[in-house]
Amino acid sequence: MLQLLRSVPRALGSAVAGLRAAAPSQPLRQLLQPAFRPCARPFGLLSVRTGSVQLPGLLQPRGPCACGCGCGRLHTEGDKAFVDFLSDEIKEEKKIQKYKSLPKMSGGWDLEVNGTEAKLVRKIAGEKITVTFNINNSIPPPYDGEEEPSQGQKVEEQEPELTSTPNFVVEVIKDGSKKALVLDCHYPEDEVGQEEEDQSDIFSIKEVSFQPTEESDWKDTNYTLNTDSLDWALYDHLMDFLADRGVDNTFADELVELSTALEHREYITFLEDLKGFVKSQ
Amino acid sequence: MSLVLRDLQRAVPLRRAPLRGRLQALRSVLGVRRFDLGVVCVDNERMRRVNRLYRRKDVPTDVLAFPFHENLKAGEIPQPEFPDDYNLGDIFLGVEYIFQQCKEDEDYYDILTVTATHGLCHLLGFTHSTEAEWQKMYQKEKQVLEELSRRTGTRLQPLSRGHF
Repeated sequence: MLQLLRSVPRALGSAVAGLRAAAPSQPLRQLLQPAFRPCARPFGLLSVRTGSVQLPGLLQPRGPCACGCGCGRLHTEGDKAFVDFLSDEIKEEKKIQKYKSLPKMSGGWDLEVNGTEAKLVRKIAGEKITVTFNINNSIPPPYDGEEEPSQGQKVEEQEPELTSTPNFVVEVIKDGSKKALVLDCHYPEDEVGQEEEDQSDIFSIKEVSFQPTEESDWKDTNYTLNTDSLDWALYDHLMDFLADRGVDNTFADELVELSTALEHREYITFLEDLKGFVKSQ
Repeated sequence: MSLVLRDLQRAVPLRRAPLRGRLQALRSVLGVRRFDLGVVCVDNERMRRVNRLYRRKDVPTDVLAFPFHENLKAGEIPQPEFPDDYNLGDIFLGVEYIFQQCKEDEDYYDILTVTATHGLCHLLGFTHSTEAEWQKMYQKEKQVLEELSRRTGTRLQPLSRGHF
């Protein structure tokens, strides 16, 4: 998808150059940074669609509403191609969507979703445990191995499944307490698709801090323990502490499934919004 | 030097702190605390993959040892020239396999300790390809576990018992 979106600016760029000539006061929109997604259509197809024979037409849109709908908004040939492409892409993404509804976490966690941020909450024996994560920028880049694909193997088949591995923050609040123990947890930074036997923990604790429960802002003046040079025995006790509260390797694996499903859902919604915005009728 | 413990599996709810405590005690008894040691806890699927890759055996097992210093004489403590060589190597503990083999009246962490002892002995050059080698390894494990029992109050039997 990244390759394809990289190609889109060329088509749009040509159209925009023409628009600049027509309406120089119109500012250029900054291109969005896309999430990595396998291409539903090969990179070359878009170039074929906006081939050199038709290029003059793209460069010279016939006016703000080239499609003739009369709405007065900008509808270039490039926009039409973009909308058509997005329609196909949305169809393909829905086809490969693994979960139509978000997968459930085991262990009795309640899920709250607010846009790209998700909160898992659990109450147990006088404690409230909250796990918060954001699916933005949560997909690591695919592993770019040095080996060439084996003979006969298509490039698409080699692309690893994209998974979302967000950092997540665990807050533990004991009933009646004014402070929360906050643990910032990460998944290993190994790139997805690596063949070599990975020996990292499924997740790790990076930072630990106490934060006041009554304030929403993070207090920088509270001591933050960094685990990079932490005594291993203390680290293991912290991991066991989390495991006793349901944040263990099973939880971490399930959270990846949940985050991946949420990220994919948000991505499809974004594509639909983008299609509607570009179409704008 | 460091004992690096990794838990790569979700098949068994492992408690890291008690396992680390036992492994540290073992290192003390063996006199190898100044050496780095890696202990990786894996499930059957990963253990089977590793066993297939390195021993061409497509089955899970309880422990695999990957010594840093090869060709040690049985029980020889390495005498490295360089600080980076103060490393014994890695042990893969098949925690799921061990859990499945564990009898009802056996303590799971005791069995993990005994299995880790076996793995550590392999890192120190012990093998059990012949009966003579097996006897030597068994005696070493027995000695280590007896000392450990004295220090911790446990009663542990070597893994090599009945293995040859």
